[in-house]
Formats: sequence, structure tokens, C-alpha cells
Amino acid sequence: MTAREAIFGAIGAAGERAVADEAAIAAAAAGLLARCAPTRPAQGAGTAREIFLRRLRSPALGASVAAVGRAAEVPDAVRRHLAAAGLAPVVALQPHPALRALDWSGFDVRPAIAIDETAAVGWAHGGIAETGSLVFRSGPDSPTLFAFLPLHHIVVVPARRIRPWLEDYATLEAGEAWPRNLTLVTGPSGTTDIEGRLVRGAHGPAHLHVLVLDEGG
Amino acid sequence: MSAMAEPASFRARVAAAVADPRLAEAIARTTGTARRKRAAAVASWADFASARALGRDIKDHVIAHLGHYLALFERNARASGAEVHWARTAQEACDITVRICRAAGARRVTRAKSMLGEEIGLPHALREAGIERIETDLAEHIIQLAGERPSHIVWPALHKTREQVAELFRARHHDAARGADVAALVASARRELRAGFFAAEVGISGANFLIADSGAVCTVTNEGNAELTTTPPRVHIVTAGIEKLVPSTAHAMTLLRLLVRSATGAEVTQYTTFHCGPKRAGDPDGPEAFHIVLVDNGRTRMLAEGLREMLRCLRCGACLNHCVVFRTIGGHAYGGTYPGPMGAVLTPALDGLAANRDLPQACTLNGQCQEVCPVAIPLPKLLRGWRDRSWREGLEPATLRRSLALWRFCVLRPRLYRLAAGGAVRLVRMFARNGWIRRMPFAGGWTRDRDFPAPPARTFLEQYHRSSSARGERR
Repeated sequence: MTAREAIFGAIGAAGERAVADEAAIAAAAAGLLARCAPTRPAQGAGTAREIFLRRLRSPALGASVAAVGRAAEVPDAVRRHLAAAGLAPVVALQPHPALRALDWSGFDVRPAIAIDETAAVGWAHGGIAETGSLVFRSGPDSPTLFAFLPLHHIVVVPARRIRPWLEDYATLEAGEAWPRNLTLVTGPSGTTDIEGRLVRGAHGPAHLHVLVLDEGG
Repeated sequence: MSAMAEPASFRARVAAAVADPRLAEAIARTTGTARRKRAAAVASWADFASARALGRDIKDHVIAHLGHYLALFERNARASGAEVHWARTAQEACDITVRICRAAGARRVTRAKSMLGEEIGLPHALREAGIERIETDLAEHIIQLAGERPSHIVWPALHKTREQVAELFRARHHDAARGADVAALVASARRELRAGFFAAEVGISGANFLIADSGAVCTVTNEGNAELTTTPPRVHIVTAGIEKLVPSTAHAMTLLRLLVRSATGAEVTQYTTFHCGPKRAGDPDGPEAFHIVLVDNGRTRMLAEGLREMLRCLRCGACLNHCVVFRTIGGHAYGGTYPGPMGAVLTPALDGLAANRDLPQACTLNGQCQEVCPVAIPLPKLLRGWRDRSWREGLEPATLRRSLALWRFCVLRPRLYRLAAGGAVRLVRMFARNGWIRRMPFAGGWTRDRDFPAPPARTFLEQYHRSSSARGERR
């Protein structure tokens, strides 16, 4: 008997029917999901964009955020943010076409991200108002490690891609398949492993700056 | 395995723990913060009670249809390009993991903290196989350097003060921090571990959730070490208990809200990642191979033996933080992988009741653990179940059995019982000084570490009869 057979055999011996009524189980699972919405924590008033901004400004999250009207203004917003942090305009750019299309003259754009990169600019797939989270879907234009290697991570998120709840990016849209990594990033990296005290920048970025891009609706 | 030999008996480990004032301080610092932050998070969630009931029902639904969801998960994981392996026991799980490491030519692996990995003894198995292991979670890194075991399921190095961590890092880090400032210690670990992430052939993680309808594996961390562990190496191995299943990603979100608030008081962890299959064509990073090892190790036995509710556990650690016993003796005294109330239920199931019959006894049954559990596990009921079984299997010591037999004899004869109780109260009061008993024959086990309040001069029934007759009531 294989381990697999033994495990399924033990589950059956504990009372589960060998042939599942798949339709009934799916209906029960859908019924559970339908109970979720009324139990969610209150968000307060405002649009998803406003709630998202408020969450990102809350001290508990430890991030910073600014609104940008047009995509063409992103490089200037990045320059200002780096200068305010006392950093030179040296960045690794996520290979996202919308970022690459911008005018980065005056920047030293690194050819690839280094394992101890100081600053990187990213482009998020979406945002979640409930938690102030950024959503990344790994792919050719979104390497997983971009959200983890830099000390300073500056991320553009289109306002129209900000959704109210965690569940809103938990289902596939038409034509989508699950990527290798679906990652929610909520504030900079932190740890409470020594005496329960919160310290930022444990392994991932110590600083997270979000640019909410209003262009495009 | 510990660098320092640990006492073999629970009582001896407890005695050593309560005698250590640094341990008491370390436990109080972390669990105090955790309790405060959890209370604030729950208080600001108006419908926490119904969310908790929903969380419980989601887990119960999955456990009731475990075979169905396991088969569905396996099918979807394979379709995404993952290889799925099955392990009945800890030994089988370690053998499979080591075999995959060897096949990948791994000399070095990185590991993101996983309690299942600790449960199956993976650190030991990797060492036996001559494979270097780099623990990447800060707390796991600390206890790896110290050669110790985790003492908490969320904060494995909870038993260490910052001064002890500073001393350890000074001795072992290449570019160690000076002083015991916590931020400097974290920076020191960041520098030390950075290159390690890219020097491993295999990255090993656990799973917080297994998503049945996509075949994905969810990890949550605050440090970002899981993704740094699972992305650069050529091979990613997940070791996960079969009870981690949820029907879909959306179901996982309800449980995620409950898990994180109960663990740290935050709304969500900094990094929540769903890993689905190996890297896709055109992906700039990610592993070429993705292996998922599904581990039973006693879980199907728990299904059959009345411990079904324990399989709901999300491993948030709230029951540890709120337990008066855990906060007094710390995690190492429990002896198993899992300490605190959830550990006192799990350890007898995993490692046998005979060797662990003390654990369900080391409980005041005050019910705090059940009250803070985000999936409402009836921990006191399960602990009483172990006590009952221990009695029925004859594992309780002869002195206890004789004492209880004597008590039973008396309690079935009310006159004798009243006489004995009245005499006992008067006898015990002879040892009292200023309302407290500091020492008494045959009670050294109690009075060695704490005083005992002197009982009132008369038994309850004596006082009841006296006050009834004073009011002229009929007896």
C-alpha cells in the first residue's frame, strides 16, 4: 500500500464517504463564502481609493503614500522621494512596459536588480483598500524578488485597480491563470522576533513608498 | 536537539523554568505585547464573533470532506506543474525531502520557519544527510545559532532576551552589532543572511494554507524571508500537514483575517504569498521545480480518535500568549514541538500519551485558551479528554489513584465526609500564619514555589447551617 492509499484509507475509516457528493460539497463551500461579506471589519466612509490612502497613511502600516495625476509625473515623484530620503537618483526598474515607457533621464537606471539594491521602482497589479496592500502577480514584467530585495521600494499602483476587499483579488478574471506567485505586500518588512519589539527592514524593504496613479480612471 | 541537555521529566523542566528569572522577563515582554495588540484588534472588529464562527465552520467543512479536498488539491497542484508527495509519518516526510534535496545536488538549503518542519524533525534529518541548513526567519536564525528548540510557535526565540541575542550575534556574526539595541541586532542578521538566500540549491517552506481549487500554497511572513527562501533556489519544497486545506483563495482570506489578528494584532501580515507551481516560461525568477510533501503524521488518527476539532488549528499562538501555565513555565518545559494549550492537546497525539500524561494535567481549565482561539477549538474539553483517557488506561500514578479512591469512599458517605472535611480544615489552619500557609507536611509540592491561602475556620456546610439557623429557617 502506498502512503497515499494509506492516508485516504484512514480518512475513509474515520467516517468520510469514499465517493464524494461533489455538487453538495461545492454548494456548502459557496454557502460559507456567502457568509463572509457581513463579517468583514468596517472600513469607514469613502471610495476604495480614499480608504486605501488612509490605510497607507496609518502609522501602524509604516509606509508613505502620494497621489500622482499622470504617469509622466512618476519619475519626478520618484526623484523627489529619493532626494527627501537623502538618496542619489539610482534605481532598479521593474521590467514593466508602463514604467519602461517613462522618461528616466537624469536617473542612473541599473541594468538588473542587485541583492542589496538601495532603491527599486515597481508597478503593482492592484491595491486592496481594506488593508492598504499592494498586489503583485509574478510574470515576465513582474519578477517576485523586486518586492523583496531593495531597501527602498517605490511602487506605482493605478487608482482604478484599487479594490475594497482582500477577496477581490482572490478570484481569477477572465483569461487569467494563477501566476507562480500572487503576493500581497502590506507595508515595509518588519519583525517582532526580539522581545516582541517591532523593527522595520528585517529582510525585505525597510521603506515602502506608494504612488497612486489617477490617470486612466 | 538542544545544545544543553534538557531534564527528562516535565516536573524537572518546570522546576528549572520557574527558577530562571530571565525567562520570566522574556516571556512577559513578548506575550504581554501580543495580548495587548490582539485585544485592540479584536475590539475594533465589530463582527469578530461571527467571523470566528465562520472560520470554525470553514475548517470543519474541510475536515468533514478532507479526502475530497486532498484529491482536488493534488489534481490542481499537478496541473500547475507541482509534484505532490505523500508521507504517512515524520520519517517518510523527512526521507522524501532529503531525497529531493539529494536529487537536486543540494549541499545547502534555506528554510523559512515551519512548525510542521520542526514537528517532523527536518532540521535533524538534513544534518544527518550532511546538508547545510540556513534558517532565514530571524527567530529561527537565533535559535539555530544557540542550538536550541523553538519555545513558541510564532516567536520561536521568545525565551531569549535582547541581551542574550546580542551576546550570540557578537560570537557568531561576521559583522556583528555592538550593544543590545534591537534595531541594530535585526540589521546585523539582515547583513549576515543576505548572501545565504542566493547560495542555496533548495528552499524549504511550510504552508499556512493549501488552496484546493488552485493547487497553490500560501505562506505568510512579516520579514519577507519566505519569498527570499522560495524564489532564488532551483527547487522549492513545501512540507505541509494535510489539515491546512481550504476550498479556495477567498476562503483563505477569512481565515487570514482571524489568524493575523490573533497572532500579532495586525490586520494582515506584511507578506502574503500564494505559490502556484514552478516558474512559468518567461518568468525572470522562481524555482524550476516545485515539490509539495503532504504529511499525515497522526492527523488521520486524530480524526478517528475524537480530536477532530484540533485539526482546525491555525497555529496563531493566541492560546499560548493567554495561558497562565505557558506564561509561567515557557515553551521548552512542555518538551514537544508545540507548547501551551494547543501543544498539550497535540503532543500526546503526536508523541504518545504515556510519555506526556503530565501535559493535559498542567492546566487550570480557566478556559482562556478557548475564548481567544480564532476557530473556537474547545481546548479545555480536549484536555479533559486526555485526562480521562489517561485514567482509563491506568497511566495515572498509584498514589493518585489511591487518594482518589479514599476520597470517593468518603464522599459517598456524607456524615463521614463532613466529619473528615471539618477535621481537615482545622488541621490545615494550624499551619497558617497571618492567613497564609508557607509550609505544611505533605504539601511541599505546592508550598515550595507559592503560598497557600488559609481556609476559613469552618467548612461551607458548617457555615451554611449556622447562618440558616440564625435566620430561623427550616433545615
